[in-house]
Amino acid sequence: MEHYNMNLTLKVWRQKNRNDQGRFETLQAKNISSEMSFLEMFDVVNEDLINDGKEPIAFDHDCREGICGMCSMHINGRAHGPWDGTTTCQLHMRAFKDGDTITVEPWRAGAFPVVKDLTVDRSAFDRIIEAGGYISVNTGNAQDANCLPIDKHKADLAFAAAACIGCGACVAACKNSSAMLFVSAKVSQLALLPQGDPERKTRALNMVAQMDKEGFGSCTNTGACEAECPKEISLTNIARLNREFIGAGLTTEK
Amino acid sequence: MKWSQFFNTSIGKKLLVGATGLFLCSFVLVHLVGNLQLLYKDGGKAFNSYAQFMGHNSLIQFIAWGLKIVILLHAFIAIQLTLKNRAARPVKYAVNPGNQTSSWFSRQMAIMGSILFIFIVLHLSQLWGKFHYGEMPTQTYEGIAEPLKDLYTVTYDLFTNPLMVLIYVISMIALSFHLIHGFKSACQTFGLNHSKYNGIINFIGVWIFGILIPVGFAAIPVIIYLNK
Amino acid sequence: MLNAKIPAGPLNSKWEDYKGHCKLVNPANKRNLEIIVIGTGLAGASAAASLGELGYKVKAFCFQDSPRRAHSIAAQGGINAAKNYQNDGDSVYRLFYDTVKGGDYRAREANVHRLAEVSGNIIDQCVAQGVPFAREYGGLLSNRSFGGTQVQRTFYAAGQTGQQLLLGAYSALERQVALGNVTMYSRHEMLDIVKIDGKARGIIARNLITGQLERHFGHAVLICSGGYGNVFFLSTNAMGSNVTAAWKATKNGAYFANPCFTQIHPTCIPVSGDHQSKLTLMSESLRNDGRIWVPKKQNDTRKASDIPEEERDYYLERRYPAFGNLVPRDVASRAAKERCDAGYGVGTSKQAVFLDFAAAIERYGNIEANKRQMHGVSKEEIIKLGKEVVAEKYGNLFDMYAKITGENPYETPMRIYPAVHYTMGGLWVDYELQTTVPGLYSLGEANFSDHGANRLGASALMQGLADGYFVIPYTIGNYLADEIRVKAISLDHPAFADAESKVRDTIAKLMSIKGSKSVDHFHKKLGKIMWDKCGMARNEQGLKEAIEEIRALRAEFWKDVRIPGDENEFNPELEKAGRVADFLELGELMCQDALNRRESCGGHFREESQTDDGEAKRDDENFSYVAAWEYKGPSEYVLHKEDLVFEEVKPSQRSYK
Repeated sequence: MEHYNMNLTLKVWRQKNRNDQGRFETLQAKNISSEMSFLEMFDVVNEDLINDGKEPIAFDHDCREGICGMCSMHINGRAHGPWDGTTTCQLHMRAFKDGDTITVEPWRAGAFPVVKDLTVDRSAFDRIIEAGGYISVNTGNAQDANCLPIDKHKADLAFAAAACIGCGACVAACKNSSAMLFVSAKVSQLALLPQGDPERKTRALNMVAQMDKEGFGSCTNTGACEAECPKEISLTNIARLNREFIGAGLTTEK
Repeated sequence: MKWSQFFNTSIGKKLLVGATGLFLCSFVLVHLVGNLQLLYKDGGKAFNSYAQFMGHNSLIQFIAWGLKIVILLHAFIAIQLTLKNRAARPVKYAVNPGNQTSSWFSRQMAIMGSILFIFIVLHLSQLWGKFHYGEMPTQTYEGIAEPLKDLYTVTYDLFTNPLMVLIYVISMIALSFHLIHGFKSACQTFGLNHSKYNGIINFIGVWIFGILIPVGFAAIPVIIYLNK
Repeated sequence: MLNAKIPAGPLNSKWEDYKGHCKLVNPANKRNLEIIVIGTGLAGASAAASLGELGYKVKAFCFQDSPRRAHSIAAQGGINAAKNYQNDGDSVYRLFYDTVKGGDYRAREANVHRLAEVSGNIIDQCVAQGVPFAREYGGLLSNRSFGGTQVQRTFYAAGQTGQQLLLGAYSALERQVALGNVTMYSRHEMLDIVKIDGKARGIIARNLITGQLERHFGHAVLICSGGYGNVFFLSTNAMGSNVTAAWKATKNGAYFANPCFTQIHPTCIPVSGDHQSKLTLMSESLRNDGRIWVPKKQNDTRKASDIPEEERDYYLERRYPAFGNLVPRDVASRAAKERCDAGYGVGTSKQAVFLDFAAAIERYGNIEANKRQMHGVSKEEIIKLGKEVVAEKYGNLFDMYAKITGENPYETPMRIYPAVHYTMGGLWVDYELQTTVPGLYSLGEANFSDHGANRLGASALMQGLADGYFVIPYTIGNYLADEIRVKAISLDHPAFADAESKVRDTIAKLMSIKGSKSVDHFHKKLGKIMWDKCGMARNEQGLKEAIEEIRALRAEFWKDVRIPGDENEFNPELEKAGRVADFLELGELMCQDALNRRESCGGHFREESQTDDGEAKRDDENFSYVAAWEYKGPSEYVLHKEDLVFEEVKPSQRSYK
């Protein structure tokens, strides 16, 4: 792979805190190697800002290997940038060329208020999980793991849904800021497994109710979430959530 | 979960939009079949008889009023959801992905729906309103005892106006765009998403409802205009 | 001499015996007992959830925006358990034995045996929670093998096992949050322990959003904050992984054990330049199927595909025929370093070796063709089938490699090099996981207990969950049973006020330096010293130099670091500064420990102590002990020894040949 260096113009959202109005700031990123990750490019820019006596850009990041779900940048109109199935930390500067202007914004959603600059508060997702994204089994209650054979195909589908990293790109990408892909991934994972069966109705009802309460929009099936999901969670999960929810809504007694 | 709670959730509301939408899909299909009788060169006998039947059969009348309620319900909930969806993002993005992540049709449902709503009001006032409540010429046909209201001629007169033809054609383009996404979307809302059947759903959504039916509707004013 | 409070009796009945005799707390009393849990990785989340289920009042803290993001999430390969589902001769004893041997006889037998005993329960518990482990077509669980073992006992969920296990523990935790048994404090960082009458009674935490310092009371405090690999700056740890919680515990009297035991993982993506912020692991599971080699010729610049089979040196298979590519991590890492240092490295930096899947692709292709009863298929067809199988097994790892390097690992061999991955050392704990401070416990990677001088693959997840789900719920009761008369202590207690003002002063001091260099500048420098002189190979002179250099760097840090912004706001630079300040102290202790341990064992390789063929040489006579260091003041540590007594396993020169 050929390596090259580039100079870039960044338009980055700066917002001091939740109550600040916020505005774009234009910055120069010089001598950026094509081998850097997008966040390493930000490290370089921040180092320059600190050396110039300015405040660095606050952005969320942690594992930098595409699995913790912490990074969250809207890059040139795309959640996690131009590469499909990729988190911001795994996006590499090969995706850009010398002279490019890159606009970087935080996830935009009422349910994800900005904390500072590019950092947002995604605790709404935790509260949705609290509403039912679990199997109620206390430690020590379990039977032998192999007492419960599970159809491999279903186990694989459950795994594919469980791969969700909770980054919020689905919400960021959706024109309605809907969290349906996130909710459906968890509901699907547990609905596909026999262990999840006893609670499947209340789970679907309660998680959707919490999702609504948090102020996420509703799904209009545009498919933008699936297109932007770094773990490529499928829209079939949303259909499954709809089935689970409708089935539960029509049959539960109270 | 009580009914009122169920239909107040986001999915419950979408279910209503989807159900009413699918009902309206079935309506446009039936409506087109009836309307194609306008193209019979029989001086309007078939079409006017059909209109007479549709206008006086009590079951049909019952459904017709139901249809209007369904349209209003569809529009009302859709507007409600759209407003909520807009409010879910108080600060907009400076750069949007455009068609990179979703189809253009899927993002224009509210606009297309609004065009269609205006069209429906216009369409009803021009033809249905006139038929039921306004002045209508009549026509007598061989083998039919009573003179029939001549909706056929009224329609032909309407489409001598190129502006009207244009409005109808544009509205049918809006219908096409609305249904290309709408049919599939309603199926997804009902949970119908299965690799074995998605091809069929897609075919019906795009080719039948998205193209065939709107083209069929749009052809009527165009043909009438060209043949005047 | 340290007393580990190991129960008497034969090894395989110690834990049963302990459980049968430890004190219990009745449910009504549990409701009045408060427990603070620092960190929400596998150990922290599972402990907080389990203790919440028992009815204790739990407060859990994490610095990330959600407990689900703790770095356990990044563990790829799998989790060991002595289930013997494969009928290949596995047993609790074998898992115990492999772990002690893999740890180069520097772990405590009783703890490791308990770990092996509960390993099966972990799998049961996780399956019950809905963790989607890989399965066979019959619907039963699938296994693979990992380094340092000759059985298949590793359970996995593609290359995302840590993620799936953590999400399982996280969901159990969130369930307790919903039930009101656990209060979750995300984006909070623990900055000090509060001790009253010699016992841990609470913490001072900083709300990272507002910068406010908060006081929290607990009858007991659990440190589950993970390892300290980030002292090297470049490691496979997350950017935020830090030693701060464990280090504050150390400064409050908890001993820090075996700090020099660092695991360098053999298969990571090599460094590409100075900009590098972290290193990415390629799971050890890849060594099931990948073959490691370098060219037989020094400074060979040919492309991998241009080097014929007979000119390749599969050095692990050559040196260790019994275990081949699946030797333990320390052995594999040193072997890679040896080849690169000798001039056989590949890639532009020459600091890399090849991990090649061509043979595996062909083998799987043939199997697949047989399975499908396809005869006379072309080589291309076989390769295509083989690639599909490999993609199913390791697809996400291959994708990750391709994204980072821009190369296609299905076509050209991966380039890999060792990187800092895990730290076996940590807070010294006794059999009950209690540190030397009463009421202060440590679980998971943050403690030192189970892996000796080298951890075997797929054992970290096992230990984290064992500690959290199945050990602490018993052992903490034994302590808290005597605390039921202690009412919640007022947050106005002078001990809280003192601790808070100490933290406040430190922050004020950091902010007031207003120097000229960024925090990362110092962190990178520290990392380089550690990697060069306390990394894969260590010697007396280097370690002595390192200690001096670290002291000088620390002095410079406190004079010249620049932290922009304000302390009363979200300020990631300030967070980093606090963590690096602690690393600058820990780094010195690591070197001191490495200097003290004049033997080679596991991940600790003292150049002065090696066999004729370059293998690590232990010195059981003089160093068969745990080195637990007591903090007495800046650069002042007192060594306490816990002698390791081996009743079951007879330490021998580890051989994987």
